[in-house]
Amino acid sequence: MIRAFRSELLKLRRWSVLAGGAVMIAATAFIAYLTFHQITSGATGPELTPLIQAFPTPQGLITVVGQARSLIIVIALIMVTSNIAAEWSQGTLRNLLVREPGRLRLLAGKMLALVLFVVISLALTLAISAALLLVAAQAQGSSTAAWTSSEGMRALLAFFGNEVLCLLGISLLGMLIAVLTRSVGAAVGVALAYVLVPEGVIAMVWQEGSKWFPVRVFNFLPGSTVPPAVGPPPPQGYPTALLVALLWMASFVVVSAVVFQRQDVNA
Amino acid sequence: MTPSPDISQPEQAAPVSPSGTLAIETQSLSKHFGRRKAVDGLTISIPAGTIAGFVGPNGAGKTTTIRLLLGLLRPTEGSATILGQPLTHPERYLPRVGALVEAPAFYPSLSGRTNLEVLAHLGGHPRSRVGQLLELVELSDRAKDPVRKYSQGMKQRLGVAMALLPDPDLLILDEPANGLDPLGIIQMRDLLRRLREQGKTIFLSSHLLGELEQVTDWLVMLNLGKALFSGPARELLDRRGELVVEAEEATQLDLVTRIATEAGYTVTPDNGSLRIACPLDFASELNRQAREAGATRIAIQAQEASLEERFLALLKGDHA
Repeated sequence: MIRAFRSELLKLRRWSVLAGGAVMIAATAFIAYLTFHQITSGATGPELTPLIQAFPTPQGLITVVGQARSLIIVIALIMVTSNIAAEWSQGTLRNLLVREPGRLRLLAGKMLALVLFVVISLALTLAISAALLLVAAQAQGSSTAAWTSSEGMRALLAFFGNEVLCLLGISLLGMLIAVLTRSVGAAVGVALAYVLVPEGVIAMVWQEGSKWFPVRVFNFLPGSTVPPAVGPPPPQGYPTALLVALLWMASFVVVSAVVFQRQDVNA
Repeated sequence: MTPSPDISQPEQAAPVSPSGTLAIETQSLSKHFGRRKAVDGLTISIPAGTIAGFVGPNGAGKTTTIRLLLGLLRPTEGSATILGQPLTHPERYLPRVGALVEAPAFYPSLSGRTNLEVLAHLGGHPRSRVGQLLELVELSDRAKDPVRKYSQGMKQRLGVAMALLPDPDLLILDEPANGLDPLGIIQMRDLLRRLREQGKTIFLSSHLLGELEQVTDWLVMLNLGKALFSGPARELLDRRGELVVEAEEATQLDLVTRIATEAGYTVTPDNGSLRIACPLDFASELNRQAREAGATRIAIQAQEASLEERFLALLKGDHA
């Protein structure tokens, strides 16, 4: 698995992969700054009220940075899904399997590298967005004492840890979609359609059931670290949401492993 | 690929199976995709240390067979051993196998060197091997360029380097000459011969029958997923050709015509001589019968059929 991991790290040099990380960083920083600007410019509205209330608190920084969470999820999902599915589309999977016939070792090493890349991208995203907000706040004379207090740092770490868990789940969902579809176009299409249709549209008409859907459950985890009004907090409670998230992750791993192990490679 | 000094000289094929062991052996190997039988009860054997040609028309099942041997596809039925290990445990034999399947596939935005390094890391091969192979296939000066900028021939050469990464005992090459210019084809032929001299087994799928005829010791002919022939190349080429019979007297040719016709072979008169389509070993029998019949002053010349002619004959159902 370590050999597969090291091999995959070399492939992460591709501009398409690096571009995914860059888009995550740039888009999040842009959205965070836009939110900051709206709050500090005196704008009002029902959507801004919870953000304005959270702004001066120790959770103010993660509240503002967290506004791009959905975007981070979508970018991470596309990055992982397209990266894995491309092995089929490009035909490179056959090369990999000839050199590493242990399919599960190959998939595990590949996922380890991809998740590491996603986590590093997330860490950079949070660090750059936070730095940008701190500089902007100081420039505008806004107090950031609460953000940089020990409570503020704990909130930031809790947010980061739960966001990592969320993106781990998202990455495993991406792996499953890629293994099942075996094509970049189909994989990205299915991944986006899944996020938009079952998780988006059905959730609007069936809220009770949709709280168990994987992407929503994953999103509840970092949502629990910001003020409830900003959320989304887990309606089933954090421990239950965490347990369900872990169960979803385990099921994605099991199904992907079984399918990949038995799959004919025609690519 | 760097040619050795003697490439212009035609070489004798190596003795078949010098070690007496089999590199590949399949028993009733089958692969069905739905109702379509891509490989249908294939039983073949490839001796170690040979260059084995693998020929068949498009859709004959060559690539499917190769994918089965590489553990990329699961067989519907049958079994196989590769380098003495069962097909069901590819992890036991693939570290000693190098393969180029269909068009070589690479990460287009990565350089040729990085593409090889990805596989070297994965297979646990030393990085120094990458440089050696890039030199062998004459891509050292373009090693840092992204593969998307490579020509078809360069990609093919990089594919060969990829297949050679593990210094394999068994090399499986699917159309390795695709996209190569004539010099590249000659260099490829030379490389294959040198690898055989090192004791490696090469399983070579190709449409270039003339090329195969020059390098192969062993042949497997496939059609509709079944083996039409699997054995020494010489045996196939000797099996059927043409005997040209010349005689000073027409009566003697008449006798020869009668003997060959009674034996079931087609005789074609040609400018005072006869052309008899038959196995080449019929020559001695024809000579004996002709002498007994009184045709003592005839000259018999054996002309081998080309691999192409044999291939076409087998496809038409001529199994003689």
